[in-house]
Amino acid sequence: MTSLSLPLQTDRLILRTFERTDASDLCAYHALPSMQRYVFTRTRNEADVAEALQVLRGHVSLQRPGDTLTLAMVRKGDKKVIGHVSLNWQDATSGQGEVRFCINPSFSGQGYTAEALSAMFDLAFDQFRIHRLFVRCDGRNHHSIKLMQKLGLRLEAHYREHALFQGEWDEELHFAILDREWNRSSKVKELPLRRQVA
Amino acid sequence: MALYPTYPLLTERLRLRPFTRGDVDAVFAYRQREDVARYLFGAALSREECALAVQQRINQTTLDKEGDKVVLAMELGQTSQLIGEVSLIWRSLESEQGEVGWILHPDYHGHGYATEAAGVILNLAFGEAQLHRVVARCAAENGPSFRLMERLGMRREAHFRDHSITKGVWDEEFIYAILRDEWLNRQSQSPTSG
Repeated sequence: MTSLSLPLQTDRLILRTFERTDASDLCAYHALPSMQRYVFTRTRNEADVAEALQVLRGHVSLQRPGDTLTLAMVRKGDKKVIGHVSLNWQDATSGQGEVRFCINPSFSGQGYTAEALSAMFDLAFDQFRIHRLFVRCDGRNHHSIKLMQKLGLRLEAHYREHALFQGEWDEELHFAILDREWNRSSKVKELPLRRQVA
Repeated sequence: MALYPTYPLLTERLRLRPFTRGDVDAVFAYRQREDVARYLFGAALSREECALAVQQRINQTTLDKEGDKVVLAMELGQTSQLIGEVSLIWRSLESEQGEVGWILHPDYHGHGYATEAAGVILNLAFGEAQLHRVVARCAAENGPSFRLMERLGMRREAHFRDHSITKGVWDEEFIYAILRDEWLNRQSQSPTSG
């Protein structure tokens, strides 16, 4: 695995690892009830978020299966952290990775998450040689579902009541995409516009 | 939540009972076959491996704690011929989850024996064991197995592609599931099934 070169740049975002000074930006979205509804690790107040930030700051590279890389989504203009995306390397032999993401609702609906996820998928497939990426989300989480479909992920699983989530029976969806599926779409996108040939 | 059935369990045509040491040859008869091993996690078994497997199964008769597994020999009622096995695994205590499975000697496919045995197991799972949801999994190309799941009223909840490598090959896996209410409703609608 070649060395990781960060930060990543997209059209409107810088994707970099978390820093100590990101606490207030992270708190602005991570402690919101609308965010808490769908997350596995709950952060109800500043102290919880500070702890979470410590964990996220440790997610700097994928050295062995089980490791997570988390990148803050920083807007190029105002350098504000508006969300984050993470990649968890689950299995080396079969090249499995799980992606998670959060965005501050004040900035959602503008394509930032899609932009960040696309960059993360490129990184996963090209740099980390992931074979299959999957994303889990709650069955009620329509924004995530739409986003997954837009990015070309397939719905692979729809579990009903297969576990308790935040004290209730869950409804969990799994979306997945294989390296060959993702490469095809990005290659199509990357074709340069054909200039007029005399 | 626990399961201590009184054996044998009888159905119209079958007897489900714990394994005994005398079952090694009958188990070897199907576990040595490539067409059986193809859809199981391991390779075809030697007779020694079957002896070991039977040895393990002898004590797998109750569910005391999460992770426990009940594996029962499936015998024809009339001839006492051992034709396969059914299993129930207690997957989660907190969320009351279980998993069923079956292996049937190919010579006895197509008679509804596995459906009959699996019905008994689901009755135990949702009855005495008080599980909330039971899953079954199989390779996507194993039509007889997933059609059996569908006959039992299980729904296809997952279709995974390339999510692991089994015996050197990318897998394609189905997961089927049924909830307690769904099973009980079916039973009340067709009291003769299962």
